[in-house]
Amino acid sequence: MKLLLLWVPLVLVPLVIHNNVVLTILIFTYLLGILAVSFNLIFGFTGQLSLFHAAAFGLSAYATYLAMAHWGVPFWLGMVVGVVFVSLVSLVIGTICFRFNLRELYFAIVTLAFSELFRLVILNWNSFTNGSLGINFTLTPTLWIPGRGVVPVQGTMMWYYLSLVAVVLAVGFYSRIVHSWMGRCFASIRLNDDLADTLGINVFRYKLIAFVAANAGAAVAGSLYSFYISYIDPHYFSIDQSLAIIAMALLGGSRYVAAPIVGALVLTALPHVINVNAEARLLIYGLILILTILVMPRGIVGVLVTGLRRPSRAPQTPERPRHAA
Amino acid sequence: MLLEIRNLTKRFGGLTAVSDLSFTLAEGDILGIFGPNGSGKTTLLNLISGVYQPTSGRLVWAGEDLIGRRPHEIAAGGIVKTFQNPQLFGELTVFENVAVAGHLRLKRRAGWRRVATLLPARHGSDDDLHERIERVLALCRLGSVRDQPAKSLSYGGEKMLGVAMALMCEPRVLLLDEPGSGLGQDEIRNLDEVLRDLRTHGTTLVVIDHRVGFLGRLADRAIVIHHGAKIAEGPPGDVLRERSVVDAYLGPGHA
Ligand SMILES: Nc1ncnc2c1ncn2[C@@H]1O[C@H](COP(=O)(O)OP(=O)(O)OP(=O)(O)O)[C@@H](O)[C@H]1O
Ligand SMILES: [Mg+2]
Repeated sequence: MKLLLLWVPLVLVPLVIHNNVVLTILIFTYLLGILAVSFNLIFGFTGQLSLFHAAAFGLSAYATYLAMAHWGVPFWLGMVVGVVFVSLVSLVIGTICFRFNLRELYFAIVTLAFSELFRLVILNWNSFTNGSLGINFTLTPTLWIPGRGVVPVQGTMMWYYLSLVAVVLAVGFYSRIVHSWMGRCFASIRLNDDLADTLGINVFRYKLIAFVAANAGAAVAGSLYSFYISYIDPHYFSIDQSLAIIAMALLGGSRYVAAPIVGALVLTALPHVINVNAEARLLIYGLILILTILVMPRGIVGVLVTGLRRPSRAPQTPERPRHAA
Repeated sequence: MLLEIRNLTKRFGGLTAVSDLSFTLAEGDILGIFGPNGSGKTTLLNLISGVYQPTSGRLVWAGEDLIGRRPHEIAAGGIVKTFQNPQLFGELTVFENVAVAGHLRLKRRAGWRRVATLLPARHGSDDDLHERIERVLALCRLGSVRDQPAKSLSYGGEKMLGVAMALMCEPRVLLLDEPGSGLGQDEIRNLDEVLRDLRTHGTTLVVIDHRVGFLGRLADRAIVIHHGAKIAEGPPGDVLRERSVVDAYLGPGHA
Protein backbone atom coordinates (compact mmCIF):
# COMPACT_ATOMS: atom_id res chain seq x y z
CA MET A 1 0.00 0.00 0.00
CA LYS A 2 2.82 2.40 0.80
CA LEU A 3 4.23 1.59 -2.61
CA LEU A 4 1.11 3.16 -4.07
CA LEU A 5 2.58 6.54 -3.13
CA LEU A 6 5.38 5.99 -5.63
CA TRP A 7 2.86 6.49 -8.40
CA VAL A 8 1.76 9.92 -7.22
CA PRO A 9 4.56 11.89 -8.94
CA LEU A 10 3.59 10.23 -12.21
CA VAL A 11 0.10 11.67 -11.87
CA LEU A 12 1.64 15.12 -11.56
CA VAL A 13 4.12 14.83 -14.42
CA PRO A 14 1.87 16.31 -17.17
CA LEU A 15 1.10 19.29 -14.94
CA VAL A 16 4.79 20.11 -14.66
CA ILE A 17 6.29 18.89 -17.92
CA HIS A 18 4.58 20.07 -21.07
CA ASN A 19 7.14 18.54 -23.42
CA ASN A 20 5.26 16.18 -25.72
CA VAL A 21 8.27 13.98 -26.40
CA VAL A 22 8.71 13.24 -22.71
CA LEU A 23 5.01 12.50 -22.24
CA THR A 24 4.99 10.27 -25.33
CA ILE A 25 7.96 8.31 -24.02
CA LEU A 26 6.10 7.83 -20.75
CA ILE A 27 2.94 6.67 -22.53
CA PHE A 28 4.97 4.06 -24.42
CA THR A 29 6.69 3.14 -21.17
CA TYR A 30 3.36 2.49 -19.45
CA LEU A 31 1.84 0.53 -22.33
CA LEU A 32 4.95 -1.57 -22.91
CA GLY A 33 5.29 -1.72 -19.13
CA ILE A 34 2.00 -3.65 -18.98
CA LEU A 35 3.44 -5.99 -21.58
CA ALA A 36 6.67 -6.53 -19.64
CA VAL A 37 5.01 -6.80 -16.20
CA SER A 38 2.59 -9.43 -17.49
CA PHE A 39 5.43 -11.33 -19.19
CA ASN A 40 7.27 -11.41 -15.91
CA LEU A 41 4.49 -13.42 -14.28
CA ILE A 42 5.29 -16.42 -16.46
CA PHE A 43 9.02 -15.66 -16.82
CA GLY A 44 10.34 -14.15 -13.61
CA PHE A 45 7.87 -15.60 -11.15
CA THR A 46 6.98 -18.97 -12.66
CA GLY A 47 10.30 -19.57 -14.40
CA GLN A 48 8.96 -20.41 -17.87
CA LEU A 49 10.49 -18.56 -20.82
CA SER A 50 7.45 -18.00 -23.03
CA LEU A 51 8.11 -16.64 -26.50
CA PHE A 52 4.40 -16.31 -27.15
CA HIS A 53 4.07 -12.99 -25.36
CA ALA A 54 4.54 -10.77 -28.41
CA ALA A 55 2.03 -12.92 -30.29
CA ALA A 56 -0.55 -12.48 -27.52
CA PHE A 57 0.07 -8.73 -27.78
CA GLY A 58 -0.42 -8.74 -31.56
CA LEU A 59 -3.34 -11.17 -31.65
CA SER A 60 -5.33 -9.06 -29.25
CA ALA A 61 -4.58 -5.91 -31.25
CA TYR A 62 -5.94 -7.55 -34.39
CA ALA A 63 -8.90 -9.12 -32.61
CA THR A 64 -9.90 -5.82 -31.01
CA TYR A 65 -9.74 -3.90 -34.26
CA LEU A 66 -11.46 -6.56 -36.34
CA ALA A 67 -14.26 -6.96 -33.78
CA MET A 68 -14.82 -3.19 -33.90
CA ALA A 69 -14.65 -3.02 -37.69
CA HIS A 70 -16.82 -6.07 -38.41
CA TRP A 71 -19.22 -6.20 -35.50
CA GLY A 72 -19.35 -2.51 -34.74
CA VAL A 73 -18.61 -3.01 -31.06
CA PRO A 74 -17.08 -0.16 -29.04
CA PHE A 75 -13.38 -0.25 -28.19
CA TRP A 76 -13.72 -1.58 -24.65
CA LEU A 77 -15.86 -4.48 -25.79
CA GLY A 78 -13.35 -5.05 -28.60
CA MET A 79 -10.64 -5.26 -25.96
CA VAL A 80 -12.69 -7.85 -24.09
CA VAL A 81 -12.92 -9.83 -27.34
CA GLY A 82 -9.14 -9.59 -27.67
CA VAL A 83 -8.49 -10.69 -24.10
CA VAL A 84 -10.97 -13.59 -24.30
CA PHE A 85 -9.60 -14.73 -27.64
CA VAL A 86 -5.99 -14.61 -26.43
CA SER A 87 -6.94 -16.41 -23.21
CA LEU A 88 -8.60 -19.23 -25.14
CA VAL A 89 -5.63 -19.56 -27.51
CA SER A 90 -3.27 -19.57 -24.51
CA LEU A 91 -5.34 -22.23 -22.83
CA VAL A 92 -4.89 -24.49 -25.85
CA ILE A 93 -1.18 -23.78 -26.34
CA GLY A 94 -0.49 -24.01 -22.61
CA THR A 95 -2.33 -27.30 -22.35
CA ILE A 96 -0.27 -28.76 -25.18
CA CYS A 97 3.06 -27.52 -23.80
CA PHE A 98 2.48 -28.40 -20.17
CA ARG A 99 0.77 -31.76 -20.78
CA PHE A 100 3.86 -32.81 -22.69
CA ASN A 101 5.85 -31.34 -19.84
CA LEU A 102 7.96 -29.16 -22.11
CA ARG A 103 10.57 -27.45 -20.01
CA GLU A 104 13.07 -24.67 -20.49
CA LEU A 105 14.37 -24.53 -24.04
CA TYR A 106 11.68 -26.86 -25.38
CA PHE A 107 8.92 -24.69 -23.99
CA ALA A 108 10.57 -21.58 -25.44
CA ILE A 109 10.91 -23.14 -28.88
CA VAL A 110 7.38 -24.51 -29.05
CA THR A 111 5.85 -21.21 -27.92
CA LEU A 112 7.99 -19.45 -30.53
CA ALA A 113 6.71 -21.87 -33.17
CA PHE A 114 3.11 -21.09 -32.20
CA SER A 115 3.70 -17.36 -32.43
CA GLU A 116 5.30 -17.79 -35.87
CA LEU A 117 2.26 -19.78 -36.88
CA PHE A 118 -0.05 -16.94 -35.93
CA ARG A 119 2.23 -14.39 -37.58
CA LEU A 120 2.06 -16.32 -40.85
CA VAL A 121 -1.72 -16.57 -40.67
CA ILE A 122 -2.01 -12.82 -40.11
CA LEU A 123 0.54 -12.15 -42.86
CA ASN A 124 -1.22 -14.28 -45.45
CA TRP A 125 -4.89 -13.77 -44.66
CA ASN A 126 -4.93 -10.64 -46.82
CA SER A 127 -8.66 -10.13 -47.13
CA PHE A 128 -9.02 -10.00 -43.39
CA THR A 129 -5.79 -8.51 -42.10
CA ASN A 130 -4.39 -6.63 -45.10
CA GLY A 131 -1.25 -8.77 -44.88
CA SER A 132 2.14 -7.18 -44.53
CA LEU A 133 0.78 -3.68 -45.21
CA GLY A 134 -1.04 -3.74 -41.91
CA ILE A 135 -4.07 -1.68 -41.01
CA ASN A 136 -4.28 2.05 -40.37
CA PHE A 137 -6.97 2.55 -37.79
CA THR A 138 -9.84 4.90 -38.54
CA LEU A 139 -11.60 4.08 -35.30
CA THR A 140 -10.92 5.72 -31.94
CA PRO A 141 -11.62 4.43 -28.44
CA THR A 142 -14.16 6.38 -26.47
CA LEU A 143 -14.39 6.94 -22.76
CA TRP A 144 -17.19 8.05 -20.50
CA ILE A 145 -16.00 10.82 -18.24
CA PRO A 146 -18.25 12.12 -15.47
CA GLY A 147 -19.52 15.56 -16.39
CA ARG A 148 -18.29 15.38 -19.98
CA GLY A 149 -20.14 12.32 -21.24
CA VAL A 150 -18.69 9.99 -23.88
CA VAL A 151 -15.58 11.49 -25.41
CA PRO A 152 -13.04 10.06 -27.87
CA VAL A 153 -9.65 9.21 -26.38
CA GLN A 154 -7.42 11.69 -28.18
CA GLY A 155 -4.38 13.74 -27.46
CA THR A 156 -1.36 13.20 -25.30
CA MET A 157 -3.00 14.15 -22.01
CA MET A 158 -5.86 11.68 -22.27
CA TRP A 159 -3.61 8.88 -23.42
CA TYR A 160 -1.17 9.70 -20.66
CA TYR A 161 -3.73 9.24 -17.92
CA LEU A 162 -5.44 6.29 -19.59
CA SER A 163 -2.17 4.36 -19.89
CA LEU A 164 -1.09 5.36 -16.39
CA VAL A 165 -4.34 4.01 -14.95
CA ALA A 166 -3.95 0.86 -17.03
CA VAL A 167 -0.40 0.16 -15.86
CA VAL A 168 -1.30 0.84 -12.22
CA LEU A 169 -4.21 -1.61 -12.49
CA ALA A 170 -1.94 -4.17 -14.15
CA VAL A 171 0.66 -3.89 -11.40
CA GLY A 172 -2.10 -4.15 -8.79
CA PHE A 173 -3.51 -7.25 -10.47
CA TYR A 174 -0.19 -9.07 -10.81
CA SER A 175 1.14 -8.14 -7.40
CA ARG A 176 -2.07 -9.43 -5.85
CA ILE A 177 -1.46 -12.78 -7.54
CA VAL A 178 2.28 -12.92 -6.88
CA HIS A 179 1.87 -12.15 -3.17
CA SER A 180 -0.86 -14.70 -2.60
CA TRP A 181 -0.90 -18.45 -2.09
CA MET A 182 -1.02 -18.74 -5.87
CA GLY A 183 2.21 -16.79 -6.17
CA ARG A 184 3.75 -19.29 -3.76
CA CYS A 185 2.70 -22.07 -6.12
CA PHE A 186 4.33 -20.24 -9.02
CA ALA A 187 7.55 -19.77 -7.04
CA SER A 188 7.61 -23.44 -6.09
CA ILE A 189 7.33 -24.39 -9.76
CA ARG A 190 10.15 -22.03 -10.69
CA LEU A 191 12.45 -23.29 -7.97
CA ASN A 192 11.80 -27.05 -7.88
CA ASP A 193 8.78 -28.41 -9.68
CA ASP A 194 9.43 -32.02 -8.69
CA LEU A 195 9.29 -31.04 -5.04
CA ALA A 196 6.18 -28.91 -5.64
CA ASP A 197 4.54 -31.97 -7.19
CA THR A 198 5.20 -34.18 -4.17
CA LEU A 199 3.84 -31.43 -1.89
CA GLY A 200 0.48 -31.71 -3.64
CA ILE A 201 0.78 -28.74 -5.98
CA ASN A 202 -0.78 -29.38 -9.37
CA VAL A 203 2.14 -28.14 -11.44
CA PHE A 204 0.25 -28.44 -14.72
CA ARG A 205 -2.68 -26.39 -13.47
CA TYR A 206 -0.62 -23.56 -12.02
CA LYS A 207 1.69 -23.31 -15.02
CA LEU A 208 -1.40 -23.03 -17.19
CA ILE A 209 -2.94 -20.35 -14.97
CA ALA A 210 0.31 -18.36 -15.04
CA PHE A 211 0.57 -18.65 -18.82
CA VAL A 212 -3.02 -17.57 -19.44
CA ALA A 213 -2.92 -14.76 -16.87
CA ALA A 214 0.33 -13.44 -18.35
CA ASN A 215 -0.97 -13.52 -21.91
CA ALA A 216 -4.21 -11.82 -20.87
CA GLY A 217 -2.11 -8.87 -19.69
CA ALA A 218 -0.28 -8.83 -23.03
CA ALA A 219 -3.70 -8.75 -24.69
CA VAL A 220 -4.75 -5.66 -22.75
CA ALA A 221 -1.45 -4.01 -23.64
CA GLY A 222 -1.88 -4.96 -27.31
CA SER A 223 -5.35 -3.41 -27.60
CA LEU A 224 -4.29 -0.15 -25.95
CA TYR A 225 -0.94 0.11 -27.73
CA SER A 226 -2.36 -0.48 -31.20
CA PHE A 227 -5.01 2.19 -30.70
CA TYR A 228 -2.48 4.60 -29.33
CA ILE A 229 -0.37 4.35 -32.48
CA SER A 230 -3.49 3.67 -34.62
CA TYR A 231 -1.74 1.00 -36.64
CA ILE A 232 -1.12 -2.74 -36.64
CA ASP A 233 1.00 -4.97 -38.81
CA PRO A 234 2.57 -8.43 -38.42
CA HIS A 235 5.68 -6.92 -36.83
CA TYR A 236 3.85 -7.00 -33.52
CA PHE A 237 4.56 -10.73 -33.54
CA SER A 238 8.22 -10.52 -34.45
CA ILE A 239 11.08 -12.05 -32.55
CA ASP A 240 12.51 -8.53 -32.00
CA GLN A 241 9.39 -7.75 -30.03
CA SER A 242 9.83 -10.88 -27.89
CA LEU A 243 13.48 -10.04 -27.37
CA ALA A 244 12.56 -6.50 -26.32
CA ILE A 245 10.09 -7.86 -23.77
CA ILE A 246 12.68 -10.19 -22.25
CA ALA A 247 15.19 -7.33 -22.15
CA MET A 248 12.68 -5.08 -20.36
CA ALA A 249 11.92 -7.70 -17.71
CA LEU A 250 15.56 -8.57 -17.08
CA LEU A 251 16.81 -5.02 -17.21
CA GLY A 252 14.15 -3.77 -14.80
CA GLY A 253 14.43 -6.78 -12.49
CA SER A 254 12.56 -10.04 -12.78
CA ARG A 255 12.02 -10.53 -9.04
CA TYR A 256 9.83 -7.47 -8.57
CA VAL A 257 6.33 -7.05 -9.99
CA ALA A 258 6.65 -3.45 -11.18
CA ALA A 259 10.37 -3.46 -12.02
CA PRO A 260 9.96 -4.34 -15.73
CA ILE A 261 8.41 -0.89 -16.18
CA VAL A 262 11.85 0.56 -15.46
CA GLY A 263 13.21 -1.68 -18.21
CA ALA A 264 10.46 -0.48 -20.51
CA LEU A 265 11.41 3.13 -19.75
CA VAL A 266 15.07 2.59 -20.59
CA LEU A 267 14.36 0.77 -23.84
CA THR A 268 11.73 3.29 -24.89
CA ALA A 269 13.86 6.31 -24.09
CA LEU A 270 17.05 4.89 -25.58
CA PRO A 271 16.21 5.50 -29.27
CA HIS A 272 15.49 9.13 -28.41
CA VAL A 273 18.80 9.54 -26.65
CA ILE A 274 20.96 7.83 -29.25
CA ASN A 275 19.73 7.84 -32.80
CA VAL A 276 19.81 4.35 -34.29
CA ASN A 277 18.06 2.46 -37.06
CA ALA A 278 15.92 -0.62 -36.57
CA GLU A 279 18.67 -3.22 -37.11
CA ALA A 280 21.02 -1.52 -34.72
CA ARG A 281 18.23 -1.43 -32.18
CA LEU A 282 17.99 -5.20 -32.22
CA LEU A 283 21.73 -5.31 -31.65
CA ILE A 284 21.33 -2.99 -28.69
CA TYR A 285 18.61 -5.17 -27.17
CA GLY A 286 20.95 -8.12 -27.50
CA LEU A 287 23.81 -6.22 -25.88
CA ILE A 288 21.60 -5.01 -23.05
CA LEU A 289 20.41 -8.55 -22.47
CA ILE A 290 23.95 -9.92 -22.31
CA LEU A 291 25.24 -7.13 -20.11
CA THR A 292 22.30 -7.37 -17.73
CA ILE A 293 22.68 -11.11 -17.31
CA LEU A 294 26.42 -10.79 -16.71
CA VAL A 295 26.63 -7.66 -14.59
CA MET A 296 23.30 -7.30 -12.81
CA PRO A 297 21.10 -10.38 -13.00
CA ARG A 298 18.71 -8.75 -10.54
CA GLY A 299 18.13 -5.83 -12.86
CA ILE A 300 18.13 -2.11 -12.17
CA VAL A 301 15.57 -2.33 -9.38
CA GLY A 302 17.41 -5.29 -7.89
CA VAL A 303 20.61 -3.25 -7.82
CA LEU A 304 18.80 -0.34 -6.21
CA VAL A 305 17.40 -2.63 -3.54
CA THR A 306 20.27 -4.98 -2.76
CA GLY A 307 23.37 -3.48 -4.36
CA LEU A 308 25.57 -4.73 -7.17
CA ARG A 309 26.34 -8.31 -6.36
CA ARG A 310 25.52 -11.56 -7.98
CA PRO A 311 23.08 -13.78 -6.15
CA SER A 312 25.05 -16.51 -4.46
CA ARG A 313 24.37 -19.91 -5.87
CA ALA A 314 23.33 -22.78 -3.70
CA PRO A 315 25.64 -25.73 -4.10
CA GLN A 316 23.65 -28.13 -6.25
CA THR A 317 24.82 -31.23 -8.06
CA PRO A 318 26.63 -33.50 -7.52
CA GLU A 319 26.07 -33.61 -3.75
CA ARG A 320 22.37 -33.03 -4.25
CA PRO A 321 21.06 -34.40 -7.51
CA ARG A 322 17.63 -32.90 -8.17
CA HIS A 323 15.87 -35.85 -9.68
CA ALA A 324 17.24 -38.76 -7.77
CA ALA A 325 14.96 -38.74 -4.79
CA MET B 1 -6.56 -51.78 5.21
CA LEU B 2 -5.19 -48.30 4.55
CA LEU B 3 -2.56 -49.12 1.97
CA GLU B 4 -2.00 -52.37 0.15
CA ILE B 5 1.09 -53.02 -1.92
CA ARG B 6 0.65 -56.05 -4.14
CA ASN B 7 3.38 -57.69 -6.20
CA LEU B 8 5.05 -54.39 -6.94
CA THR B 9 7.88 -54.57 -9.48
CA LYS B 10 10.01 -51.81 -10.95
CA ARG B 11 12.63 -52.39 -13.61
CA PHE B 12 15.10 -49.80 -14.86
CA GLY B 13 16.22 -51.33 -18.14
CA GLY B 14 17.79 -54.63 -17.14
CA LEU B 15 17.95 -53.80 -13.45
CA THR B 16 15.11 -54.90 -11.20
CA ALA B 17 15.10 -52.35 -8.41
CA VAL B 18 11.91 -53.59 -6.75
CA SER B 19 10.89 -57.17 -7.26
CA ASP B 20 7.44 -58.64 -6.62
CA LEU B 21 7.09 -56.89 -3.30
CA SER B 22 3.93 -57.03 -1.19
CA PHE B 23 2.93 -55.70 2.22
CA THR B 24 0.05 -53.90 3.84
CA LEU B 25 -0.27 -50.93 6.10
CA ALA B 26 -3.07 -50.31 8.60
CA GLU B 27 -4.05 -47.00 10.14
CA GLY B 28 -1.59 -46.07 12.88
CA ASP B 29 1.06 -48.60 11.85
CA ILE B 30 4.71 -47.75 12.14
CA LEU B 31 6.63 -49.75 9.60
CA GLY B 32 10.41 -49.83 9.50
CA ILE B 33 12.14 -50.65 6.22
CA PHE B 34 15.64 -52.08 6.37
CA GLY B 35 17.96 -53.13 3.60
CA PRO B 36 21.50 -52.66 2.33
CA ASN B 37 22.49 -49.80 0.02
CA GLY B 38 20.94 -50.11 -3.41
CA SER B 39 18.39 -52.66 -2.28
CA GLY B 40 15.45 -50.64 -3.60
CA LYS B 41 14.11 -48.84 -0.52
CA THR B 42 14.01 -45.37 -2.06
CA THR B 43 12.58 -46.77 -5.28
CA LEU B 44 9.78 -48.35 -3.26
CA LEU B 45 8.87 -45.00 -1.71
CA ASN B 46 9.03 -43.36 -5.12
CA LEU B 47 6.59 -45.94 -6.44
CA ILE B 48 4.17 -45.39 -3.57
CA SER B 49 4.31 -41.60 -3.94
CA GLY B 50 3.81 -41.72 -7.71
CA VAL B 51 7.24 -40.36 -8.67
CA TYR B 52 7.82 -43.61 -10.59
CA GLN B 53 5.23 -45.80 -12.24
CA PRO B 54 5.63 -49.51 -11.44
CA THR B 55 6.45 -51.99 -14.20
CA SER B 56 3.79 -54.24 -12.72
CA GLY B 57 1.83 -54.72 -9.53
CA ARG B 58 -0.84 -52.79 -7.72
CA LEU B 59 -1.13 -50.08 -5.11
CA VAL B 60 -4.46 -49.83 -3.35
CA TRP B 61 -5.10 -46.83 -1.10
CA ALA B 62 -8.28 -46.88 0.99
CA GLY B 63 -9.89 -49.12 -1.62
CA GLU B 64 -8.75 -47.03 -4.60
CA ASP B 65 -6.21 -47.96 -7.23
CA LEU B 66 -3.25 -45.55 -7.21
CA ILE B 67 -1.55 -46.71 -10.40
CA GLY B 68 -1.29 -43.90 -12.92
CA ARG B 69 -1.89 -41.14 -10.37
CA ARG B 70 0.44 -38.16 -10.43
CA PRO B 71 2.50 -37.38 -7.29
CA HIS B 72 0.40 -34.31 -6.45
CA GLU B 73 -2.78 -36.39 -6.51
CA ILE B 74 -1.25 -38.97 -4.22
CA ALA B 75 -0.05 -36.23 -1.86
CA ALA B 76 -3.52 -34.70 -1.90
CA GLY B 77 -4.90 -38.14 -1.04
CA GLY B 78 -2.76 -38.14 2.09
CA ILE B 79 0.48 -39.97 1.26
CA VAL B 80 3.47 -37.66 1.60
CA LYS B 81 7.17 -38.48 1.46
CA THR B 82 10.43 -36.83 2.36
CA PHE B 83 13.53 -37.09 0.23
CA GLN B 84 16.70 -38.95 1.06
CA ASN B 85 18.68 -36.06 -0.47
CA PRO B 86 17.01 -32.96 0.93
CA GLN B 87 14.92 -31.12 -1.63
CA LEU B 88 13.91 -27.56 -0.96
CA PHE B 89 13.20 -24.17 -2.46
CA GLY B 90 16.66 -22.76 -1.84
CA GLU B 91 15.91 -19.11 -2.55
CA LEU B 92 12.92 -18.98 -0.25
CA THR B 93 13.19 -18.58 3.50
CA VAL B 94 12.59 -21.52 5.81
CA PHE B 95 9.21 -20.01 6.68
CA GLU B 96 8.25 -19.63 3.03
CA ASN B 97 9.26 -23.21 2.30
CA VAL B 98 6.86 -24.44 4.95
CA ALA B 99 4.21 -22.00 3.69
CA VAL B 100 4.44 -23.50 0.19
CA ALA B 101 3.90 -26.89 1.77
CA GLY B 102 0.72 -25.47 3.33
CA HIS B 103 -0.94 -25.61 -0.07
CA LEU B 104 -2.81 -28.86 0.52
CA ARG B 105 -4.06 -27.64 3.87
CA LEU B 106 -5.46 -24.50 2.24
CA LYS B 107 -6.95 -26.55 -0.57
CA ARG B 108 -8.65 -28.96 1.82
CA ARG B 109 -10.04 -26.23 4.04
CA ALA B 110 -11.02 -23.55 1.57
CA GLY B 111 -11.62 -25.57 -1.60
CA TRP B 112 -12.57 -23.27 -4.45
CA ARG B 113 -13.16 -20.48 -1.96
CA ARG B 114 -9.40 -20.03 -1.98
CA VAL B 115 -9.82 -18.26 -5.33
CA ALA B 116 -11.91 -15.61 -3.58
CA THR B 117 -8.95 -14.77 -1.33
CA LEU B 118 -7.28 -13.33 -4.44
CA LEU B 119 -9.87 -10.56 -4.68
CA PRO B 120 -8.64 -7.12 -3.59
CA ALA B 121 -11.26 -6.69 -0.89
CA ARG B 122 -10.22 -9.81 0.99
CA HIS B 123 -7.28 -9.54 3.25
CA GLY B 124 -5.27 -12.61 4.14
CA SER B 125 -7.37 -15.16 5.98
CA ASP B 126 -3.94 -16.71 6.39
CA ASP B 127 -3.67 -16.22 10.16
CA ASP B 128 -4.61 -19.78 10.88
CA LEU B 129 -2.01 -20.94 8.36
CA HIS B 130 0.66 -18.80 10.02
CA GLU B 131 -0.14 -20.27 13.38
CA ARG B 132 0.21 -23.78 11.99
CA ILE B 133 3.51 -22.91 10.29
CA GLU B 134 4.89 -21.53 13.54
CA ARG B 135 3.87 -24.68 15.37
CA VAL B 136 5.54 -26.94 12.80
CA LEU B 137 8.68 -24.77 12.86
CA ALA B 138 8.79 -24.96 16.64
CA LEU B 139 8.30 -28.73 16.64
CA CYS B 140 11.16 -29.19 14.19
CA ARG B 141 13.34 -26.63 16.01
CA LEU B 142 13.56 -24.37 12.99
CA GLY B 143 12.11 -21.31 14.69
CA SER B 144 15.47 -19.57 15.06
CA VAL B 145 16.26 -19.84 11.34
CA ARG B 146 12.78 -19.15 10.05
CA ASP B 147 13.81 -16.05 8.08
CA GLN B 148 17.01 -17.45 6.60
CA PRO B 149 17.07 -18.67 3.02
CA ALA B 150 16.70 -22.43 2.99
CA LYS B 151 19.94 -22.88 1.06
CA SER B 152 21.91 -21.49 3.99
CA LEU B 153 20.86 -24.34 6.29
CA SER B 154 23.17 -27.09 7.44
CA TYR B 155 22.56 -30.56 6.00
CA GLY B 156 20.73 -31.56 9.16
CA GLY B 157 18.66 -28.39 9.00
CA GLU B 158 17.71 -29.18 5.43
CA LYS B 159 16.55 -32.63 6.44
CA MET B 160 14.48 -31.26 9.29
CA LEU B 161 12.97 -28.71 6.93
CA GLY B 162 11.99 -31.61 4.66
CA VAL B 163 10.20 -33.23 7.60
CA ALA B 164 8.56 -29.92 8.51
CA MET B 165 7.27 -29.49 4.97
CA ALA B 166 5.89 -33.02 4.92
CA LEU B 167 4.16 -32.42 8.28
CA MET B 168 2.62 -29.26 6.89
CA CYS B 169 0.87 -31.43 4.28
CA GLU B 170 -1.01 -33.13 7.15
CA PRO B 171 -0.43 -36.62 5.76
CA ARG B 172 -2.31 -39.74 6.75
CA VAL B 173 0.72 -41.76 5.80
CA LEU B 174 4.16 -40.22 6.09
CA LEU B 175 7.03 -41.87 4.21
CA LEU B 176 10.42 -40.91 5.62
CA ASP B 177 13.52 -41.78 3.62
CA GLU B 178 16.50 -41.98 5.98
CA PRO B 179 15.48 -38.90 7.97
CA GLY B 180 18.32 -39.43 10.41
CA SER B 181 21.28 -39.91 8.09
CA GLY B 182 23.79 -37.07 8.16
CA LEU B 183 22.33 -35.55 11.32
CA GLY B 184 24.33 -34.52 14.36
CA GLN B 185 23.64 -35.84 17.87
CA ASP B 186 21.29 -33.00 18.86
CA GLU B 187 19.48 -33.13 15.57
CA ILE B 188 18.96 -36.88 15.90
CA ARG B 189 17.48 -36.41 19.35
CA ASN B 190 15.12 -33.78 18.02
CA LEU B 191 14.12 -35.97 15.07
CA ASP B 192 13.36 -38.87 17.36
CA GLU B 193 11.18 -36.59 19.47
CA VAL B 194 9.27 -35.54 16.38
CA LEU B 195 8.78 -39.16 15.35
CA ARG B 196 7.55 -40.16 18.79
CA ASP B 197 5.23 -37.18 18.75
CA LEU B 198 3.82 -38.39 15.44
CA ARG B 199 3.40 -41.87 16.89
CA THR B 200 1.40 -40.59 19.84
CA HIS B 201 -0.80 -38.67 17.40
CA GLY B 202 -1.48 -41.84 15.46
CA THR B 203 0.10 -40.84 12.14
CA THR B 204 0.86 -43.87 10.03
CA LEU B 205 4.59 -43.95 9.36
CA VAL B 206 6.88 -45.76 6.98
CA VAL B 207 10.48 -45.12 7.97
CA ILE B 208 13.67 -46.11 6.20
CA ASP B 209 16.60 -45.88 8.55
CA HIS B 210 19.92 -47.62 8.99
CA ARG B 211 19.92 -47.07 12.73
CA VAL B 212 18.67 -50.52 13.59
CA GLY B 213 18.48 -49.91 17.31
CA PHE B 214 16.41 -46.75 17.10
CA LEU B 215 14.05 -47.87 14.37
CA GLY B 216 13.70 -51.25 16.04
CA ARG B 217 12.31 -49.50 19.11
CA LEU B 218 10.11 -47.03 17.20
CA ALA B 219 8.55 -49.42 14.69
CA ASP B 220 5.97 -52.02 15.51
CA ARG B 221 6.70 -53.93 12.33
CA ALA B 222 9.65 -54.18 9.98
CA ILE B 223 10.37 -55.47 6.53
CA VAL B 224 13.79 -56.16 5.13
CA ILE B 225 14.52 -55.68 1.45
CA HIS B 226 17.40 -57.26 -0.43
CA HIS B 227 17.91 -56.90 -4.19
CA GLY B 228 14.44 -55.40 -4.42
CA ALA B 229 12.68 -58.36 -2.81
CA LYS B 230 11.27 -58.67 0.67
CA ILE B 231 13.30 -61.22 2.60
CA ALA B 232 11.73 -60.85 6.02
CA GLU B 233 8.75 -59.29 7.77
CA GLY B 234 7.57 -59.18 11.35
CA PRO B 235 8.26 -57.53 14.70
CA PRO B 236 11.58 -55.69 14.39
CA GLY B 237 13.25 -57.62 17.19
CA ASP B 238 12.55 -60.96 15.55
CA VAL B 239 13.20 -59.87 11.98
CA LEU B 240 16.62 -58.48 12.78
CA ARG B 241 17.70 -61.79 14.26
CA GLU B 242 16.78 -63.87 11.23
CA ARG B 243 19.67 -65.66 9.58
CA SER B 244 18.99 -64.28 6.08
CA VAL B 245 18.76 -60.71 7.37
CA VAL B 246 21.96 -60.98 9.29
CA ASP B 247 23.74 -62.34 6.23
CA ALA B 248 22.33 -59.83 3.77
CA TYR B 249 22.21 -56.69 5.80
CA LEU B 250 23.72 -56.61 9.22
CA GLY B 251 26.78 -58.69 8.58
CA PRO B 252 27.86 -61.68 10.67
CA GLY B 253 29.47 -59.49 13.34
CA HIS B 254 25.99 -58.44 14.37
CA ALA B 255 24.60 -61.82 15.29
N1 LIG C 1 15.98 -43.56 -11.81
C1 LIG C 1 16.74 -44.66 -11.84
N2 LIG C 1 17.23 -45.15 -13.00
C2 LIG C 1 17.98 -46.26 -13.03
N3 LIG C 1 18.30 -46.97 -11.94
C3 LIG C 1 17.86 -46.54 -10.75
C4 LIG C 1 17.06 -45.39 -10.63
N4 LIG C 1 16.75 -45.20 -9.32
C5 LIG C 1 17.34 -46.21 -8.66
N5 LIG C 1 18.01 -47.02 -9.51
C6 LIG C 1 18.74 -48.23 -9.14
O1 LIG C 1 17.87 -49.05 -8.42
C7 LIG C 1 18.56 -49.70 -7.35
C8 LIG C 1 17.86 -49.40 -6.06
O2 LIG C 1 18.12 -48.05 -5.73
P1 LIG C 1 17.47 -47.33 -4.47
O3 LIG C 1 17.88 -45.91 -4.53
O4 LIG C 1 16.04 -47.62 -4.43
O5 LIG C 1 18.21 -48.07 -3.28
P2 LIG C 1 18.17 -47.75 -1.73
O6 LIG C 1 17.78 -49.01 -1.06
O7 LIG C 1 17.38 -46.55 -1.46
O8 LIG C 1 19.71 -47.48 -1.42
P3 LIG C 1 20.39 -46.47 -0.37
O9 LIG C 1 20.40 -47.16 0.96
O10 LIG C 1 21.77 -46.30 -0.90
O11 LIG C 1 19.60 -45.22 -0.38
C9 LIG C 1 19.99 -49.22 -7.40
O12 LIG C 1 20.77 -50.18 -8.06
C10 LIG C 1 19.92 -47.95 -8.21
O13 LIG C 1 21.10 -47.75 -8.94
MG1 LIG D 1 17.71 -44.75 -0.69
